[in-house]
Amino acid sequence: MGKTALIIAVLAAAVVGGIFVFARSGPPRDETLVYRLKTDAPSLDPAHLRDTTASTVAQCIFDGLVEQDPLTLEVVPQLATHWEESDDKTVYTFHLRKGITFHNGREVTAEDFKYSMERVLDPATAANQRWVLEEIKGADTFKGKPGQHVEGIEVLDPYTLRITLERPFAPFLAMLSMEAASPVPREHVEKWGEDIAAHPMGCGPYRFVKWKKDAVILLERFDDYWGDKAGIKYIKFKVVFEESVALSKYLNGDFDILPEMPPNRKQDLLRDYPDEARLWPILGVYYIGFNHTKPPFKGNVKLRQAFNYAVNKKAICDVLLEGIPQPARGVLPPGFEDTFDETLEGYPYDPDKARALLEEAGYPNGDGLPAITLQFNQSEDHARVCTAIQNNLRDIGVNVRLKNLEWAAHLDSMQKHEPLLFRSGWLADVADEDNFLYVLLHTDIEANYGGYSNPEYDTLIERARHSIDPEERRELYRTANRSIVEDAAWLFVYWYRDVILIKPYVEGWTLPLQGDFRMPLHKLRFSRPPA
Amino acid sequence: MGTYILRRLLLAIPVLWGIATVVFFLVFATPGDPADMLMGQHGDDEVKAAIHAKYHLDKPILVQYGYFMGRLAQFDLGRSYAQKRKVTDILLEHAGATVLLAVASVAIAVVLGMGLGCLAAYRQGSWIDGAVMAVSVLGISTPVFWLGLMAILLFCSILRLLPFPDPEYVTPKYLLLPALTLSALLVGYIARMTRSSLLEVIRQDYVRTARAKGLSRPTVFFKHGLRNALIPVVTIIGLNLASLMGGAIATETVFAWPGIGRAMFQAVLERDVPLIEGGVIMLALVFVIANIIVDVSYAFLDPRIRLK
Repeated sequence: MGKTALIIAVLAAAVVGGIFVFARSGPPRDETLVYRLKTDAPSLDPAHLRDTTASTVAQCIFDGLVEQDPLTLEVVPQLATHWEESDDKTVYTFHLRKGITFHNGREVTAEDFKYSMERVLDPATAANQRWVLEEIKGADTFKGKPGQHVEGIEVLDPYTLRITLERPFAPFLAMLSMEAASPVPREHVEKWGEDIAAHPMGCGPYRFVKWKKDAVILLERFDDYWGDKAGIKYIKFKVVFEESVALSKYLNGDFDILPEMPPNRKQDLLRDYPDEARLWPILGVYYIGFNHTKPPFKGNVKLRQAFNYAVNKKAICDVLLEGIPQPARGVLPPGFEDTFDETLEGYPYDPDKARALLEEAGYPNGDGLPAITLQFNQSEDHARVCTAIQNNLRDIGVNVRLKNLEWAAHLDSMQKHEPLLFRSGWLADVADEDNFLYVLLHTDIEANYGGYSNPEYDTLIERARHSIDPEERRELYRTANRSIVEDAAWLFVYWYRDVILIKPYVEGWTLPLQGDFRMPLHKLRFSRPPA
Repeated sequence: MGTYILRRLLLAIPVLWGIATVVFFLVFATPGDPADMLMGQHGDDEVKAAIHAKYHLDKPILVQYGYFMGRLAQFDLGRSYAQKRKVTDILLEHAGATVLLAVASVAIAVVLGMGLGCLAAYRQGSWIDGAVMAVSVLGISTPVFWLGLMAILLFCSILRLLPFPDPEYVTPKYLLLPALTLSALLVGYIARMTRSSLLEVIRQDYVRTARAKGLSRPTVFFKHGLRNALIPVVTIIGLNLASLMGGAIATETVFAWPGIGRAMFQAVLERDVPLIEGGVIMLALVFVIANIIVDVSYAFLDPRIRLK
């Protein structure tokens, strides 16, 4: 039995040793904001941010030339004190604040912006955020060769940066507020190489302290920050995937902010925790895409309209989704105050009209329609919404089969224009109408999964994105939005609204139109320490 | 013994090569371009081409396989597409939590499973026997995911005996619930195997002889019977390590336990090919080593077995 005892002793030592290795430690709870993340951020390199989770964290670490007001969407100075624009809106000259430092203590200069932007545009970086800067003159031909620079990024002096665009590009300033346009210290990038993904450094209100993957990211207030110091010394982002566990932890006081919660609990929480649960509209749209590259939807607007009238969006929103989202009447959500069209009716539920249109489309009572599959990606909510749509369509004689795929396979299939009907949605990564109408529906764009192609619409939307007259631009977007609805390019389902739980002792919060991931966490403070 | 272990380790090389090859081609055949997952919904042909070139995804499959095997021969699992970090670093970072969870689960399963199995065999035919067998079947057939949620509800929400899961802390009080949940399946198997194995052993002549010598029933049962009933039990543990790892993915998800299971789950969703391949190879290595340990342990449990 001696050997057995030895084995047991070794195993016990491994367990005890492991426990000591991971012993509890950390900053004091009364100085720490604990924020729930559903999944871990894959990378915190601003060149490779690609989801809202990573942006939630990254916005605390990185500052840019400008920022977008989370409520009014106005572009306001951040690291730039001010800027000048040429009359044709192709040249922007930014004047930087003096004395701003990175988290390593070195001063930020115009050279850092040039380096960081060229790094994002360098094909060797293979940055998924390259699109943010690709309208800069010379971006297309920049190959990152030694001695080569992007023609449109010039350092006039250490505190003056000039950016020249190929042509006027209206959303450009808003895009500069994204982390991809933020400065990163060259010496830090060179030290870490690709591993900078897990060692982010910028000049934002919080500095990165540590990251235990799939568990916790810890940030600490940057005391040499150029602006108002963060109100809470530490932020801990904790990864808890399971919604019900995360909610239990919030109610137990383990989280101060809970941005996502279990389906079917939101109305209960709004009722039971009126001082903590907040409901607000965000810039997002949920839709069913038609495949415009194949029959029966190709060129058959009557059929697409019939499908739109057949679906009871109000019931989907009110019954299935607890009244949280709003039925969509077009692409642009109500958050775009200047371009939102109150008069646009969209397609209210009208099965009789749907049947009539179905007949006009050449498919009376659905006769003659090929087998149609509605494809969606795995999610309890998507399954329920798509099942409701299937039932509504059955009521007018259209039989639709459902196909459930995980996201990667769904995306692949949509990009190949395979499904006749598919679920999709969009949350603005730049709060600009262009981020919906161009990015989702222009002929040349990959995210136009339905292959919608309308030369008149393309012309409208291209004019809008390159217009230098704000009023003309707004009018063009209203017209474009209306044309998409009239053409029934999508089956419009709902505009997003969201629910977040914030403890009553957390003050200074705002509910950004882009969603919780844009909440300026450095402006939060505790009215009393968390229990 | 040393020669035997060395031979088994050498034999593991073709096994691991086979597994690596199967995983490589399976991942390749899965729909979804990793570049699309990296770019999100802002598709850009130029960036896609750059990503394909960077990770050799633009090369024919056999060339990609060649790169993969070349790296593997140098013990290099590559870099994660999504996290941009070395796969080895990511796996090692998560391995501690998973090893701790697995060791604790096996320990709990051995103690509980054998205890219940002995009890059932000792009281064969009684209500205790029936109850133990019913509990075993429940343990085997209850989904880990559901069991975990119910355990949290009971022990954390209602009884408040244990803290809610927290990914930051890998300490005993946070370990207990996931380890118990994960061990449920193994407890069931071990209890059933211990019972049937013991019932077979106690009918052997040497047990009858021990009783005839005047030894008490408990002494004969637990001292002579149990040790001889252990070999099938050890085999069951070895065979079920794979199920344990499968259960670890669900357990780690429910309990926010930052182990390899969580990392692998996310890697599959993101088509993070190097991390999927590296994770599977590492788990395969664990199984191979565990099986060698099981085989070696036979010699300790039964000196008549000699390893050749």
